[in-house]
Parts: sequence; C-alpha cells; structure tokens
Amino acid sequence: MSAIGQYVLNGLMQGTIYGLVAMGFTIFFGVMNVIKFSHGDVMTFGAFGALVAATAAAAAGLPTGVQILAAVSTAVGLAALLGAGISRLLILPLRSAPPLNLLLMTMMVGTVIREAIRLFFPNGTNSQRFPALLPPGGATVGGVFVRYDGLILIVAGLLIIAVVHHIINRTRFGLAMRAVAEDQETARTMGVNFFRVVPLTFALGSATAGFAGVISGLYYSEINYGMGLLIAVIGFSAAIVGGLGNLWGAILGGYLFAGLQTVVVATLPTFSEYKNVVAFVAVIALITWRPTGLLAERASERV
Amino acid sequence: MLTRHRSTQDEVPRDALPMVAGVSARRASDFAIFAVVVAACAGAVAFLVHAEDQRVVLSALVACGMAWFAAARFRVIAAVERGAAGHPWLARLVLVAACLAVIVVLREDNFGLLMLATVLIYATVCLGLTIQLGYAGLSNFCAAAFLGCGGYTAAALGRAEGIAIPDLVVILLGGGVAVAIGSLLVLPLLRTRGHYAALTTLAFGVMFNVFLDANELLGGPQGLKLAPITVFGWDFSNDLDLFGMTFSFYANYVMLCLALTAVALALVGLLDRSWIGIRLDAVRLDEVAAQVFGLRIARWKILAFTLGNVLAGMAGAIYAKMTGFIAPNNFTLGDSLMMVSIVILGGIGNRWGVLPAALIVVLLPEKLQFIQEYRLLLFAVLVILVLVLSPGGLLPRRTRTLVAGRQA
Amino acid sequence: MGRITRRCLAGVVAGALLIPGWAEAKDTVKIAFVGPLTGPNSPHGIGARNSAELAVKLFNADPAHRYQYELVVLDDECKPNVGVQVVTKLGSDRSIAAAVPHYCSATAIATVDVFHRFKLPMVVWAAVLPEITYANKYAEIHRVSGILIGQNRVGAQFMKEQGYKTFVSFADSTDYGKSMNKYFTEFTNENGGKILGNFAVAPDQQDLSAELTKIKELNPEVIYFGGLTPLGTRLRTQMDKLGIKAQLEGNSGIMGDAFINAVGPDLAEGTVTFFDSPPLSKMPGGAAFTENYKAAGFREPPEAYGPFAYIATHLLMQKIEAVGPERAKITAALGDVKDVPSIVGPITFDDHGQNITPLTTKYVVQDGKWLLWEDSEYASGKRKLLHR
Repeated sequence: MSAIGQYVLNGLMQGTIYGLVAMGFTIFFGVMNVIKFSHGDVMTFGAFGALVAATAAAAAGLPTGVQILAAVSTAVGLAALLGAGISRLLILPLRSAPPLNLLLMTMMVGTVIREAIRLFFPNGTNSQRFPALLPPGGATVGGVFVRYDGLILIVAGLLIIAVVHHIINRTRFGLAMRAVAEDQETARTMGVNFFRVVPLTFALGSATAGFAGVISGLYYSEINYGMGLLIAVIGFSAAIVGGLGNLWGAILGGYLFAGLQTVVVATLPTFSEYKNVVAFVAVIALITWRPTGLLAERASERV
Repeated sequence: MLTRHRSTQDEVPRDALPMVAGVSARRASDFAIFAVVVAACAGAVAFLVHAEDQRVVLSALVACGMAWFAAARFRVIAAVERGAAGHPWLARLVLVAACLAVIVVLREDNFGLLMLATVLIYATVCLGLTIQLGYAGLSNFCAAAFLGCGGYTAAALGRAEGIAIPDLVVILLGGGVAVAIGSLLVLPLLRTRGHYAALTTLAFGVMFNVFLDANELLGGPQGLKLAPITVFGWDFSNDLDLFGMTFSFYANYVMLCLALTAVALALVGLLDRSWIGIRLDAVRLDEVAAQVFGLRIARWKILAFTLGNVLAGMAGAIYAKMTGFIAPNNFTLGDSLMMVSIVILGGIGNRWGVLPAALIVVLLPEKLQFIQEYRLLLFAVLVILVLVLSPGGLLPRRTRTLVAGRQA
Repeated sequence: MGRITRRCLAGVVAGALLIPGWAEAKDTVKIAFVGPLTGPNSPHGIGARNSAELAVKLFNADPAHRYQYELVVLDDECKPNVGVQVVTKLGSDRSIAAAVPHYCSATAIATVDVFHRFKLPMVVWAAVLPEITYANKYAEIHRVSGILIGQNRVGAQFMKEQGYKTFVSFADSTDYGKSMNKYFTEFTNENGGKILGNFAVAPDQQDLSAELTKIKELNPEVIYFGGLTPLGTRLRTQMDKLGIKAQLEGNSGIMGDAFINAVGPDLAEGTVTFFDSPPLSKMPGGAAFTENYKAAGFREPPEAYGPFAYIATHLLMQKIEAVGPERAKITAALGDVKDVPSIVGPITFDDHGQNITPLTTKYVVQDGKWLLWEDSEYASGKRKLLHR
C-alpha cells in the first residue's frame, strides 16, 4: 500500500514537469498553428541560466531565498527572451511556409541550442550539479516517504499553471492572444498588434518551460545539455493526447504519460526497459481512439 | 480532367509551349544546355565526393552554391527542364551515361563510392517520402524505422540456418516487411490529421528504437553482422575488373543502388503524371472536397503509405548489407529527421530535387569532419539558413500542366 | 594528386625559408583518431582526442624522432554506420598509416572487418566488449583497454570479501550496460551473492524514481551500476532523494572526476569502483601526463579513457619509428608487444591483439577524490562502507 502512495507521488512530480512543457506546445499551437520543437531545449537553456544565477548568488553570499529567486527569475526570463526571439526572427517571417518547414526548422533551432550549450558552457559536455536550494529530507506519512522539496515543487508547478490560466483567461493580453488564436485576420482588423502579441505569447509559453527547467534541476539535482530532447517528444505527445490548443488537455496529457510510465515499472519491473514502448503504444492507441485528443479542440475543421 | 497525355515531363513551364517557328532549333539548343548541365553536375559530384582538403571542399561548395544561384537566376534550370522534356529518352540516356562516367572516374575511391551509394539509398527513401509527404500529404517522421525494418529483415534472414534465399528476394522481402510493419500505423494515420498524424509516426519511430534496444532476439543494442550481397553467384565484396580497369567493390553497390533509385524515380514520375497522382494531390490539398467528389481517401492514403514504405524497406536491406552491420543506433529519430529535411530541402513533391538535397545532407556532415565537434552545430545552422532564404527548397514543385506541348 | 603537389610545394617553400633546417626536414606520417565528438558520449571522445593530440605533440617535440606526426581526427558519433563510413575513408586514404579508434563497442564491432579489409593497423582505446578482439583473429586489430570481464570479476570478488549478500543490478540499455549486467550476474552468482532484481533504463532517461521505488521495496545491500557517468549521477542523486540506503558499486563507466563533480563530494563518498588502470600518480610518467595535459590548455578534462588514447597513440608512433610508416610493417610490429611500459601499466598483446595485463584496480571515493582502495581509510577500518 505504501508503495502505491510512493508511486503516485513520483508520478505527480513527473507529470507536473511534463504538463508544464506540454502547456507551452499547446499555447504555441493555439496561437500560431505551429509546433515549436525547440521547446525542450529552451527549457534546458533556462535551467543552465538558473544554474549560473544560483551559483553567482551563492558566491556573492546571498541567502538561500535570494538564490532561489535569482535562479527562477533568470530561468524564466532567459527562456521567455529566447522563445520570443525565436518567434520574432524565425517563426513569424516564415508563417506562410508549409507547417513541415516550420517543424523542421524548430527542430534544427533546438539542435543549435543544445549543441551551443554542450560546446560553449564550461565543461558543458558533462552533467552539471544543480545546487540543492530547497529544504532537504522529508517525512514518512503513512509509509510514504514525502520529500519536502518534491512537495514544494508540485505546489509551485500547480501555482504556475493557475497563473498561466489566469493570464490567458482574465487579462487584456490573454484576450488579444485568444483573439489571434480564434481568427488572425479579424483580430488584426480589430486593432490587435499581431507582431507584439505573437512574440509575447511565445515568451509566455517559453517561460513555463524555463520554470520547468528550474523544477527539474531542483528536483533531480542534476542538469545536462541533452535533457530537452526526450522531454520535447514527451511534452508534444502529452499536448497531442490531451488535444492541441486546450490548456487542460496538455496538463491531463502530462499526468497521463507520467502515470503510464510509472504503472509499467511498478507492475512489470523486469520490463522496465519497455516502459517507453508501452507509453508510446498507448499514446498511438489513444489518438486513434480520439483523433483530436481527449479534450477535443472546439473547431477542429475549418472548411 | 483525367485525360491521358503523352509527355514524359510534367514540369514544362508555360513559356515552353511551342510557338510557330524555330521550335526545333530551340529544342536542340535547350537539349544542349541540358547535356552540358548534366555533365557539369556529374563533374561537380565526382569532384566533391573525392575532394578531401578542407579549403578545396569549401571553395568547391561555395562555387556550387553560386553556380546554382546563377542557374536559377538566368533561367538555366527552366531551359534544362525544357531540354529534358524535348527529348525524354535521349535525356535519360545522357543521365545514365553521366552516372556511369562518375563511377568510372571514382572507380578506385572506396570511400567516394560508399558515400555515393549512401546518397542513393537516402535518395530512394526520400523518393518514397515524396509520395507520402509530397503527394498524399501523409506525415512520416519514422522513415528511418522503415529503413531499419528492411535492414533487420536482411539480417534476420541471413542468420536463419538452413534457409538460403537469393539476395534479390531478400531485398524485396525487406520492402514487404516494412509494409507489413507499417500497416500497424495505417489505422492511426487514417483517423488522424496534421500534427496528430505527425505524432503517431514520431512516437512510432521512438518506440521502434527503444524496442530494438530492449529486445535481445535481434541483437539488442550491440547489433548484428550481415554478409555482403551475392547476385547470381557474383559476390559484391569482390573488386571488379572491367575493360582493363579495376573498380572498387563498392561500385557493385553503387550500381545496385542506382538501379533502385532509377526505379523509384520512374515510379514517382509515373504516379505524378497519372490520374493516381492527381487523386493524391486532391487528397492532400483538400480532404473534404476530395471526399465530396467521390474519392476514397483511405484507399489513396494507404496506397501512398505502402509505396513509400516498400522503397524504404528495400533501400534498408541494401544499406544493411552494404555496411555489413546493423544496430538500433542507425535508425534514430535524428535519422528520420534527416530524411524529412532532404525532402524539404529539395522542394516538397519535386522528385528531381531529392537528388541534390540528398547529396548535400549526406555529404556535408562528412565533409565537415575537419571542424570536429562543431560540425553538428554548423549543419543545423546551415539548414536553418536554407529554410529562411529559400523556403520552397532547391527545386520547388511546379504546378501541374496537364497536357504538355498542347493547350489543355 | 593535386594535394600532394601542393604539399610538396609548401614543403619546398617552408624549406627555403628555413635553410638551416633543410637537411633535417622530416617526412610526415598521418595517424587517425576516431571517437564520438558529438552526442551523449562526446565527453569521452573529446577528452581522448585531446590526449591523443597531446601524445603527438610531445612526440613531435623530440628532435631525435625520424618522422613528423599528424593526427587526423574523425567523429564516429558512436553510430555503427558512420563508423564504417569514416573507417572506409581512412582505409582508402593511403597516407594514413594507422588508427586509434572507437569508444562505443557496437561501432568497433562493425568496423573491425573494414580495418581488416583495408589492412589498416589499429589500436582500440576504449571500447570494452570482448567480441572486438575475440570474434575474429585479425592481425590488424589491437586493444589497450581491458575487456569488461576483468572489472566484474574483481568487483564480485571484492564485494564477497566485504561480506555483501544482496544485490540489485541497475544498468543502461546500451550494449555496454547489457554486457556489464551479464558479467556482473555471472560473477556474483559464482560468488554466492543474491541478485534481487535487474533494471535497465535508457541512458537519457531523466527520472528514475519509479525504478528506485521498486528497488527500495527490494531493499538490497548493494546497488550495482553498469553504465556511464550521466546516468550514474542521476542514479546516485535520486537514490538519496528517495532515501535509499545502499552501497553503490560502479565500474569503469563512472570512473573519473566528472562523477564526483556532478553528484557532489557528500553523495559520492564511499562509492566503490573497479577500473583497468591504477591511479596515474602511481605510475611512472603518469604525473607528467597530468601536468602536460594541464599545460597544453585543453578546455575539457581527459576523462577516464584519455590516458588509454594517449598510450595507444604513443605505442603506434613508437612502432612507426622502429619499422617505418608502412601499414603491413606496423601490423607486424604490433604483433610483438610485450611488457611495454606505459602510464596505465605494462602492455602485452595476446595473439588476438588484446592487452591481457590490465591492472584492474579497486577505487573508493573519500573526501571528494577517487582513492586507491588499499590507501583509503575504508580499508584501514577508520571509515566503513554502508551496511558494514
């Protein structure tokens, strides 16, 4: 019984990270109809920025609270900047190109970010230790070992999800964003500044990835230049399974994917190698069953 | 709408339609331009493949880029297309002669011939992708997995005791197995569209790789060895002695790959010109409208998917036998992406664009070896530049002219 | 052709500029280094590339040598098909005298036939699967690194002596991890240890908590790790996060400072590992290697297999000095390598070209450093491994 609780907790943590990444995919798709595959590497970029900021803050002798603040704000800021830059310089100019071109291009942008970190970050080829800024240890509740840092991070992740939801649904910027998503041309004729809204949207989506990068660093105490690739595939799968363009779908997809992986390992430990096979088979089966995702897009067909 | 027509070349631009006088003279001069350009390309290919010195390679690449730009600017490409359309069979003859000339020039360069064969393998797979992506509009981000299906078929048949299947049959079986495994994806692909379909193939590609790594029966991560190809008693691992010249054993593979690529090119060309191609176009451009006109979407999608996978599987069987070794690491998501980038770089849906694009994408990383660990970075930057500067690819697909040489 | 003429011209010009040096102008001999310079295994490839460059640089600095050496570096990406490509390139390039190839075993297994076909002598610097040297008997194939059987034999023996009874094996799903797991299982069973479970994960998997939760349930005394540093760091840090108290037993894959740097000295403390060479500081010339490497100003550390790449390159150059830059002669000369001293211990090739005298050595982390087990406070009883 206690083991089940433990698995649930692990799955929740992983699902939160996946969900945050998937949320970015879904936001970009909703607004620009584009899959930005460099998303995972933007997350890596944010995590490395956070590492530098936290190390610098620690070297300056600042208290832990300030270190955390420095790490989070740097990661979120850098990721947002990078995301906005990519959209302004590469995605907007090519918005009339076939979707396949954009997909390939963002994949290549991801490669550039990844390789640049590997080659130009000092000793970037090796894994980097991420400082432990959150309270260590944990408590055993009903046989389940609950890590304090894990608990804090899950809550922080959920908080960010709530904030993004609020921005999209309750602010003027969110309104402009939804207007562009609904009908680009009408939104522009109604006075929405398209060339400002799109980069800002990408900044918002990328900021969540940057935050996921910090969470990942704090939780696993380790970051490496290649961590974005698999997470991009998983985040994309989660966004698709949930239904592209639907925020709740992305989050549901994230938890679902984490749950699938966990269940395979927990029930068939000797087949743990096959867990991604099982997870991806399930993903394919799910989209075959619900071709536009579990929480379907509102208007999936425009004739 | 679906009249049969006789021209072999579909990409004849409007200004090539015959006027009143000077038609044959213009035809002849266009054909001369075609022949010169083919010869120049063959020369450039042989030189690029063979050149090793980094400065020579770089200047040759820059020269090729400028020549291409100039050719596009001064409408040489259009003239070449007209030239080929004017004398289709003669044009094919010139192409074959150029290929043979390249092989003769590179006859002792093992590495050059290996690279050439690899380029042709990738080109064949990408011609399959052209049918899928370019004609039917089906996403396929797991082409490397189907290449792997063919390769693993060849490896498994080679290891089976007591069964001696001729290698040509093995290659065909490779294509068959790729289709059989691909059929698992048919239902998901038929039910989904756009990015959702892209994900099914992407997930399949990742899954294929993880499965091979985990499964010990097919050699696991350590891979399997394969024997070289033998056709009618001729062992492909022997050097060739012809006309007093010694050819590297890789020339065997280049010839075989060339034959396969030629078949693929012919197949794609035939599809493009036939009513099947028109139906595939309709399916890609507007599924709903196509359905309204009574087209069975599922049938045409399955046909395109199957044809593409046959080509990938056959190419995979040859590739595995040529390399003599096969491991899951050869068929990663990155390799699938490389193939998609060839199709996009060449110009989606243009079968001739695939050839220069495959040459660039396969050869460039190899020629960039001198920058060592920086080469992946530079390669990615170059692809981004091409996508930004020339979104339509090297040879963008032309609008179909239904009846060449005649007003439709 | 053109290249050669131009090279000759360049040589003439250079010679004319340095007239006093004219008589001493040496012939250039090219040696190739092949390893992963891109992708997840690139730290090892780049560290070894640097070490091989260092060997060439130091060797060239000695005026007594007959030839001037040039290192040609190629990236095999740890992919068998790319490996075959680059080795074909080397093989058909007659100016290449010999090669120092491969980190990944699958790549090496794929290319041995190509080396044999082109009669290009080579000395493997790191790939550890037995098949590379023992699947065939090719005169061209040699290897300075030990095969992974030795590490596991010594390891299993050691754990038995320490009195450990229950184990869990945690390996990556590559050829390396799988073979490690295979020999670990074989030798641990032989020594009467009980293996409670086997886990294999992809080397790029970030989250190991599901596997570790299962391991926590199994509650082993020892977790055996068969894999490379990146996964090893994740394993060690996440073991701690889940509160798993088990002794970590590693092997060559996590040997090196990168592991300690990535997990931190506190978590690394007490990790034991078995590796095919004694500490460089204990070997004649080893300290000099470390110093020279530092002095050469490389940005990346040599990693565990850097010294092996160094000695493989060095060995080839020694042989070329002796017999000249012809492939057949080098191959013949490599057939007779016996007790050649090196910074990782004397090298002796058996009839398959395998170095049979690797000094498999026991290491433990103490205060943020890899120490020889015998020199550590753990051996003297001052500190204790977990559960002892």
